[in-house]
Amino acid sequence: MLLIENKRLRQTIKTAVPFVLIPVTVLLGALVFDKKMHMYVSLVTAVLSLLLFASGYEKKPVGSRRMVITAVMTALCVAGRFIPFFKPVTAITIITAIYIGGESGFLVGAMAALLSNFYFGQGPWTPFQMFAWGIMGLIAGFMAEPLKKNKAFLAVYGVIAGVGYSMIMDVWTVMWYDDGFNGGLYLTALATALPHTLMYAVSNFVFLWFMAKPFGEKLERIKIKYGV
Amino acid sequence: MEILKVENLSFTYPLMTSPALSDVSFSAEKGEFIAVCGATGSGKSTLLRMLKNELAPVGERSGEIYIDGVAVNELGAKKSAAFTGYVMQNPEHQIVTDTVWHELAFGLENMNIPPEKIAGRIAEISAYFGIEQLYLKSTHELSGGQKQLLNLAAVMVMNPDILVLDEPTAQLDPIAASEFISTVKKLNRELGLTVIISEHRLEEVIPVCDRVLMLEKGSVYAYGKPQSTVSDLKNKPSLLRSMPAAVRLFHAVNGQGECPLDVCHGRAFIQSAFSNKIRTLPLEKKTAVREKALEFKNVMFRYERDVPDVLNGLTFTAYKNEICCILGGNGSGKSTALSAAAALIKPYSGEIRIFGKKLKEYKNQSLYRECLALLPQDVQTVFLRNTVREELADVGAGELPFEINHLLDKHPYDLSGGEQQLAALAKVLASKPKLLLLDEPTKGIDAETKHTVAEILKRLKQSGVTIIIVTHDTEFACECADRCAMFFRGNIVSSDTPRNFFAANNFYTTAASRMTRGFYDNVTTVDEAAELIETNGTREDA
Amino acid sequence: MRTFADFNPIAVTVWFLAVTGLAMFSSDPVIYVIALTGAVLLYVVRNGRKHHGIHLFAPVIFLITALINPLVSHNGGTVLFVMNNNPVTLEALIYGVCTAVMITAILYLFKSYSQIMTSDRLLYVFGMFSPKLALIFSMSLRYVPLFGRQAKKITASQTAMGLYKDDNIADSFRGGMRIFSVLITWALENGIITADSMTARGYGIGRRSHFSLFIFRTADVLLICLSVIFSVLTVYLTWDIEFVFYPYFKIPDAGIKNAVGYAVYGLMAVMPVFIEIREVVKWRYLRSKI
Repeated sequence: MLLIENKRLRQTIKTAVPFVLIPVTVLLGALVFDKKMHMYVSLVTAVLSLLLFASGYEKKPVGSRRMVITAVMTALCVAGRFIPFFKPVTAITIITAIYIGGESGFLVGAMAALLSNFYFGQGPWTPFQMFAWGIMGLIAGFMAEPLKKNKAFLAVYGVIAGVGYSMIMDVWTVMWYDDGFNGGLYLTALATALPHTLMYAVSNFVFLWFMAKPFGEKLERIKIKYGV
Repeated sequence: MEILKVENLSFTYPLMTSPALSDVSFSAEKGEFIAVCGATGSGKSTLLRMLKNELAPVGERSGEIYIDGVAVNELGAKKSAAFTGYVMQNPEHQIVTDTVWHELAFGLENMNIPPEKIAGRIAEISAYFGIEQLYLKSTHELSGGQKQLLNLAAVMVMNPDILVLDEPTAQLDPIAASEFISTVKKLNRELGLTVIISEHRLEEVIPVCDRVLMLEKGSVYAYGKPQSTVSDLKNKPSLLRSMPAAVRLFHAVNGQGECPLDVCHGRAFIQSAFSNKIRTLPLEKKTAVREKALEFKNVMFRYERDVPDVLNGLTFTAYKNEICCILGGNGSGKSTALSAAAALIKPYSGEIRIFGKKLKEYKNQSLYRECLALLPQDVQTVFLRNTVREELADVGAGELPFEINHLLDKHPYDLSGGEQQLAALAKVLASKPKLLLLDEPTKGIDAETKHTVAEILKRLKQSGVTIIIVTHDTEFACECADRCAMFFRGNIVSSDTPRNFFAANNFYTTAASRMTRGFYDNVTTVDEAAELIETNGTREDA
Repeated sequence: MRTFADFNPIAVTVWFLAVTGLAMFSSDPVIYVIALTGAVLLYVVRNGRKHHGIHLFAPVIFLITALINPLVSHNGGTVLFVMNNNPVTLEALIYGVCTAVMITAILYLFKSYSQIMTSDRLLYVFGMFSPKLALIFSMSLRYVPLFGRQAKKITASQTAMGLYKDDNIADSFRGGMRIFSVLITWALENGIITADSMTARGYGIGRRSHFSLFIFRTADVLLICLSVIFSVLTVYLTWDIEFVFYPYFKIPDAGIKNAVGYAVYGLMAVMPVFIEIREVVKWRYLRSKI
């Protein structure tokens, strides 16, 4: 019984999300609701895009080896979050994205956020965090080739991703607090989060600079040896 | 009924010149228990993997495998997955999901079986395997033996007709291993399940199997009833070495008649054919003057505040230039003692001295430079680079005390278990230690490599290295130790030369000792037993 | 015995989304206060004196969030005092306090929710939407403790080879990288065994079914229905109420209809508290009979 429900539910989400829900939410957000509703619109958009992604992924046949690699990378992100002052999540997401593909990158970032929040605390920010880390991976996936070739570019992208992550999360903080977007508050939030942002940026830079190549070699070897 | 038939199977891996399997033919009846043996690289794993289409390696192949009368690659995905169950060596990595119940359900989910039915099937299998208490546990909380049992249950829940096991007990301690083998035998006996098992440790498999398939360099050396196949191993030391002690003894004394397979028949064989006028071999003299190499004095350690002590007033001394084997059950604290000696954990009271110097007086890593080295149980924790050569260059290894040239250009993870052991040993020896600690060095390696390791250790001893080995492997301890010690509940309870040690033990001892007990004295190895038998000669009344 | 946590995770999630969602979407201080009351009650009933850290943490969060607004926002007509040439107004303070109530309520609700939603429960909810992602999630859940343990082993063996030290920052950084690198290789290389084990057991041959330990009972369905009905009623009955904060704070006139709306929301917010208390009472009663 559960299965049928399940199937229907999935089918509904598959068709409804891309064609109906997201456009409607965006339209509603822009037209009907006032400024107050920005937060909900953005929250709903984040959740919906995660759902959209999940339903897309569900359709594709994914081999067991690719599944395992994704799970391993996700768990490495989570394990890495325990290292003090050093948050390799974004970096590992980026590495996954450029060597395995943007989709896997998105998945690793998003899943790592969800999973690690079991240890660091879930909250309304979880979908946002999932979205933010996921998107960093997805974008890296689009630029896989240049990122793979140019170490400096990769490290710089790491810095941008670190700052970007922080900025996205601060948008959320501000909107959550103020029912809308308040520029002054945003700057305050950015300033307060500056140490964190710097830490993200620096650790991404360092991690990508030193680890991207050996890490990539390991992934490439696995890809060749096991035909992923 | 013939359930499995292999016809002229040959297989060559890509980029390899010699075939991994050549012209292998055999067949199995439904309900048979078949043991596959052969040295590392004899093609055991390749053959077993080819029996399961999903796991068949990529390469050039000829010949055919029929499962239940159908060619293996024409079985259809669903039947192929369910008909042949496959259990691998590593207990940890075969587990897919995070909880025991989910792991049991995994295969059935793949078969798209409705959840209501899955509930019934996994309830049944948990009851049969006696793992109901584990049902809700996380898989990472299980012990190695429980993990392997779970892997078996997770395969059996799919109700296979053939069960293929590739060295399933190699990573288990002897007690868990024999429990696992008896479970497999029970499945075979009670369900009529066809079992095909490959093993390094054949002591317990040969006596219970219906047929033995012996492989040598990819070809079938012999296939048939265990009695007849093992009788024919005189000129095959590589195959013979992995056989049960009774079989080795039979060949060592050029036995006539029916070859004994287990301890019980081995005893009967000795007592019926040979005399025991001389009951013991001359004992070797104890060396008198000895310097202390490693000394534990009243060492106490626990991992957390409110758990029991793991090291409970450990007092023990290892002397310079000896090989000392520490034996004992799981969780008795053996490995913890090694970690304490290597300063990896800090005891909360007591004192450890290495070459007379307190552990904390070794400053700035000097302990790890030309002083002490530890070969960990999990040797994969040692490897970092892409080739063995780079691994060795990484630590500045000079000349090696043994030869591993053929491994140098391989990736450490492409090596077999035994080869990994040798490569790791080479890497830890780079610091030129005077005291070498080894944690379970024979785990998961075949009889041949085990012998090689023993030889290497003896050579190291001659060059002045003190060696302390923690092991479950009584045969190995007998082969290389100067002294054996029994670890129990956080302390050493007895220690002596291997002869005296194992002669004093009734249960925790070698098969050779059990076979000769009461007839000869102080015999611990097959070689000793054979020597004694030769001196005594056959019975006069026989 | 069925405490709130023993309800079907989907039912729990629906209730939770309803209560949290209404509190977040509403801009009604009365709803905020009800939500906070319900959330704190639920937390206390479930935990008693255990896990009391949040009771120290929450007031701090409350104070910070309450005070940020008057310091940043200078709207409002009633100036309390002037700080750094900026007026601090009563209205901004009231607005800050209201938001703080809402945020504290959500903090408590999420705390209870994360306590209830252990990973296997979340996995179940997750699996309804995407079984495949749920599987990856389950696999990662196994890996995390495994990697932790392996990292310790690697540290030990690299230390014993004299290759890892943590004497200063540079060494400790180099050592950390080294261990992480060994861990990556170990995880990826051995992952292939896991993949083989999946394939051997028929993963990837077609549609998978989805087994879980949780089932739907009447009470679960009831909880879902009540959550949905109460939410709709709350929205319908309190839609016309609007609190004005700026330039002057104004409490709107509320009628019977609105009062009923608040009551409905309150009822929904304390539903789990009732469930918990009923269990305790039932258990006491049963035990007294034994």
